[in-house]
Amino acid sequence: MTAGSMESRDSTRASFTLRAQAIGLVTRLDPGPADRAYTEGYLAQPLIMAHGRVLDGHLGGVLTLDFEGLTLARGQLNTGAYGEGYADRRHPHTYLHEAVAVASGAFGRVGVSLAGGKGFVPFGTDDPMTRPFAAYPVNHHLAQILERYVVIAAASAGPLTLEGATFNGDEPASPGAPPDASRFGDSWAARATVTPHPLVEVEGSFASVTSPEIANGGGRDQRKWSVGARLRQPLGRLSGGLVEWARTDELVGDVRANQFTSFLAEASTSLSRATVSARFENTARPEEERLADPFRYSRNPTDLSIIGITRWQIGTIAVTTPFSVRHADIAPFVEVSYGHPTEEVTPSAFVPQDFYGSTSIWSASIGLRLGIGSMAHRMGRYGAGVPNVPAGVTAGG
Amino acid sequence: MAFRPRAFHWLLVTLFVALAGCGSDSPTSVKPFTGPSLSVIGHGQTTARYTAELWTRGNVAYTTTWGQRSATAVGNAVYIWNIGANTPVMVDSLIVENATTLGDVQVSDDGKLLVVATERANGSIVIYDLTNPLKPARLTRYQTANTSNGVHTAEVARVDGTLYAFLSIDPPDARLVIVDLSNPENPREVMVRNMGNPFVHDVFVRDGLLFTALWNDGVTIWDVGGGGKGGTIANPVQIGNVRTATWSPSVGDSEAHNVWWFHDVAGGADAKRFAFVGEEAPGTGGSALNSSNGDIHVLDVSDMSAPREVAFYHVDGAGTHNFSVDEERGILYAAYYNAGVRALDVRGDLSSCTDTQKATDGRCDLRKMGRELAAGLANAQTFIWGVHFDGSFVYASDMLSGIWKLTAATRP
Repeated sequence: MTAGSMESRDSTRASFTLRAQAIGLVTRLDPGPADRAYTEGYLAQPLIMAHGRVLDGHLGGVLTLDFEGLTLARGQLNTGAYGEGYADRRHPHTYLHEAVAVASGAFGRVGVSLAGGKGFVPFGTDDPMTRPFAAYPVNHHLAQILERYVVIAAASAGPLTLEGATFNGDEPASPGAPPDASRFGDSWAARATVTPHPLVEVEGSFASVTSPEIANGGGRDQRKWSVGARLRQPLGRLSGGLVEWARTDELVGDVRANQFTSFLAEASTSLSRATVSARFENTARPEEERLADPFRYSRNPTDLSIIGITRWQIGTIAVTTPFSVRHADIAPFVEVSYGHPTEEVTPSAFVPQDFYGSTSIWSASIGLRLGIGSMAHRMGRYGAGVPNVPAGVTAGG
Repeated sequence: MAFRPRAFHWLLVTLFVALAGCGSDSPTSVKPFTGPSLSVIGHGQTTARYTAELWTRGNVAYTTTWGQRSATAVGNAVYIWNIGANTPVMVDSLIVENATTLGDVQVSDDGKLLVVATERANGSIVIYDLTNPLKPARLTRYQTANTSNGVHTAEVARVDGTLYAFLSIDPPDARLVIVDLSNPENPREVMVRNMGNPFVHDVFVRDGLLFTALWNDGVTIWDVGGGGKGGTIANPVQIGNVRTATWSPSVGDSEAHNVWWFHDVAGGADAKRFAFVGEEAPGTGGSALNSSNGDIHVLDVSDMSAPREVAFYHVDGAGTHNFSVDEERGILYAAYYNAGVRALDVRGDLSSCTDTQKATDGRCDLRKMGRELAAGLANAQTFIWGVHFDGSFVYASDMLSGIWKLTAATRP
């Protein structure tokens, strides 16, 4: 499913959609930490998503439950992935992934909305969960902010969409842990999205995030920038595409301690019955002290220092052959990644060659995507924050 | 509006070329040191693991290890060195199971116990008997729910004749845990209290007073039996607090890391007037091993209820870490990470200086006061974590290469 197909333009008086989906896969990573090969199987991204609206669409809601805390507690083998205490594995998301209520309306030709709850912050590009790859990009924590208590005001007029939000800076502590409500409002973000043509959507966004890593506060703060462009509809042989640049500065006070940048490009095309997708990314990853489990790191960097920065250059190819059976959509897939990590700064207390035993890291997955039902909601955008919605017509939750 | 796929293509190519090469900052470089040198006497080299803290007693030194240097070499070792000759010689090692970083090490004042902190997962202290200093015999590993987050530092000190370990516990819920070591085979927790923002980093204990380095909350002084405020080791009573300044006005918070309350043997009435605070600010180069920041701050603690900062010492492009003070000669030795070891003359009135020796905020600048005596390893490819003065020599632990033995500084 492409992100574009998830955009809602429905203006019925009341509607409700429900969808369940999951990915079953087996992944081999070679080499991983400690110069070992790992082969594991998972049920990834097991989600139940509900979306409803009433009162001519003026009042809506989005609910997404994510059960990775049950199926992926150890994390998913994922080249270069990091965040929330996991490294080289993608961390499980929280059980309550999204629960957002949206009130929408219009002033003349300007659509407006106010959304609130737990969900995505208007920053960066669409969540990797909605994109064509099972493996997350390294830049997930540079290019998206999610699972926060958030209030979002949005306005949309013609090709321009503006969003502003306030939220809590702390990242989730575990799948079952709620955000720290006392920190609500300590962070903010703004995003502008332009759709100059039905084919293309361009976003630029900024976020100021307070102490994301130390939940009690007092840790490094972040200033984040993102610029991205995506195809909204097929263009020639391209059935989908995304280009993004992201940058995160970590600050102590106003002093910049670290900077991480990312460039990512991905595209999909149809070949006969198959969809072939390719992704390249060049992303800097912070390194922190690993624990006894080499896939986990300390989330409390005493001294507020990191131990190094690794630049990951990763190419990924995914081939899938989607088909439908009654209300179910099924998509077998094969996905292969090649990653090349190098230390960005020297001397570094994290040297990829020493840690992995190699700087050529291969990963291969085979699996099946399964979804039942439909979803009239573009994950991560709410109300008038969904671009290019004609004034007076609400969408996206 | 017409859409031009070719133009879009070139826009993307331009974006890629422009942005793909963006990288990280480079740290500020340290200016070469040109003053007197703490000369290198010997170098005990080890590069299998990253070296952390050190302690010496007699002809034996103990160094701990930190982090993960290779696929199999983690910071779970204590190295034992014979330092009787010029070049320290590694004679043995201890391995602590289920540990990844041993951040702190100390020998008790009577020389009987070696206490090692384990940080990160499985936070604890491991206590060894030093009947044979070259062959420490493990007595116990003390780990409770209050220590399991990780013990960042473990200071061993005596209060009213009883030996205690003061454990600074990592967040979440950073806390100080005090453990009675009267029976070292069976340590007993006597106090636990949440403190620090976001963590309590280190303490200094002397004369029944407890100094806590609380990072953004600065330094707090507690009565634990000697302050006349009714405090006890089980119930410390706060006497005073000070938010120390920062190496850069842009930082905003104190970053108080460690403390040393100086007792100057020749100090007369002002013998106990000053305390030194290390500020450990993160580097700006993206690696714990390639840059550092943070100053030494001098507190006037003549009124413990109202300590105030009166002086500081700054090195461009580098930051301080742990201290050792030669109280006989009035010389402070400071580990300075990428700037080696710095020796400062800390005898006399550190709060009194000329206008030209003051910073704009009125604090005295020890460098401008001519208090910088010497430096060791200042221009070397080292990253100095800890320093220890044993009465004759200065020992420095180098995260990259082991232990260095240096000459001590001399007063002018």
